[in-house]
Amino acid sequence: MPEDELVLDRLIHEPARLAILTVLSSVDDADFVFLQRATGLTQGNLSSHLTKLETAGLVAIDKRFVGRKPNTSVALTPEGRKGIARHWSQLERLRRLSDPTIRERAPRATRAPRAARPASP
Amino acid sequence: MRHNDLQRAAAGLSYLRGLRLIPAGFLLIVAALANENVGPLRDDWAFLLIAGMVGLAYVPIARFYREHYGRMSPSARQQVREGAALVAAPLVMVAGASLLRSGASWSLDLPVNALAVAFAGVMLISYAAGPGIRAHHLVIWGSLLLVGAVPLWDGADPSNVGLVLAGIAVVASGVLDHRLLVRTFGAPRDA
Repeated sequence: MPEDELVLDRLIHEPARLAILTVLSSVDDADFVFLQRATGLTQGNLSSHLTKLETAGLVAIDKRFVGRKPNTSVALTPEGRKGIARHWSQLERLRRLSDPTIRERAPRATRAPRAARPASP
Repeated sequence: MRHNDLQRAAAGLSYLRGLRLIPAGFLLIVAALANENVGPLRDDWAFLLIAGMVGLAYVPIARFYREHYGRMSPSARQQVREGAALVAAPLVMVAGASLLRSGASWSLDLPVNALAVAFAGVMLISYAAGPGIRAHHLVIWGSLLLVGAVPLWDGADPSNVGLVLAGIAVVASGVLDHRLLVRTFGAPRDA
C-alpha cells in the first residue's frame, strides 16, 4: 500500500471541520442552525471553520433571506464530497492497520504510516 | 468520533422533531370519533373543519423546529427511501390488517385488533429500516402491537378503537421523540 494513500489532510482532519463535513455528507444541504446543533459548535467557531472550508473549496455557502430572516445554507462541493469520503476511508484503513488482530491476518500491511502532512493553506 | 455516529446524529436531528406527529395523532383520534358518529363529528363538515384546524397546527410547529433546530434537505438517496416508505406503508398496513381480520375470503379472521397490530408493525419496521429504533419506540409500538394481538377482540369490528390507540401512540411517540431531541441537541433557547 503506498504511504501517500494514508497521508491525512489536516484541513479535513481537524475535529470540528471533520464533524461539519461528515454531517454535510449525509444531507444535500443544511443551514447554519442545523450544523450548529448537529456539531455542538458555537456560532463563532462554526462560522470560522466554514470560512476555512469555503476558502479550500470544500463547501459552498449560500446566504439568502427566508421570509424576512437571513439564512445561511451550506452544501458540500464535489471536491468536498470526495475529500470527506477519502478521509474516512483513510481513517478506516489506519484503524485496520493499528488493529493487531487484523494485522496478524495481513502481515504485509504492518508498516506504520507516516503522520499527517502539514496543514493545507 | 465515529463516521456513522455523526451521520446518525444529523439524521436524528431531523426525524426526532416529534411535535410534528401530534397533529397526525389527533387526526387519527378525530377520525375514529367521526366514524363512531360521536357528538358534532357525525357531520362531515365538522370532521373536515377539525381536520383543517389540526393541519394548520402543523405550521407553527414546523416553524418552531426550523428556527430552533435548523433546516436541512435530505440527500437524494434518503428522499427516494422516504418516498418508497410513504407509498409502501399504507399498502402494507391495509394488506396486513385485511390478512389478520376482514371479510376477505383469504383473511385469517383472527380475534385481534388488526388495525392496531398492522399500524404498530408498520411503525416498528419503518423505524428499523430508517433512522433506527429507540427504546421509547419499542415500548410504545411494542405495547400497541401486544395489545392489538391479544386474542380478545371478538365481536364487533374494533378498527375505531385501534385508530384511537394508534393516535395516542403517535402523540406519545412524538412527545418522547421531542424530549430526546432536546436532551441530545439542547433546549430551544440554547440556539
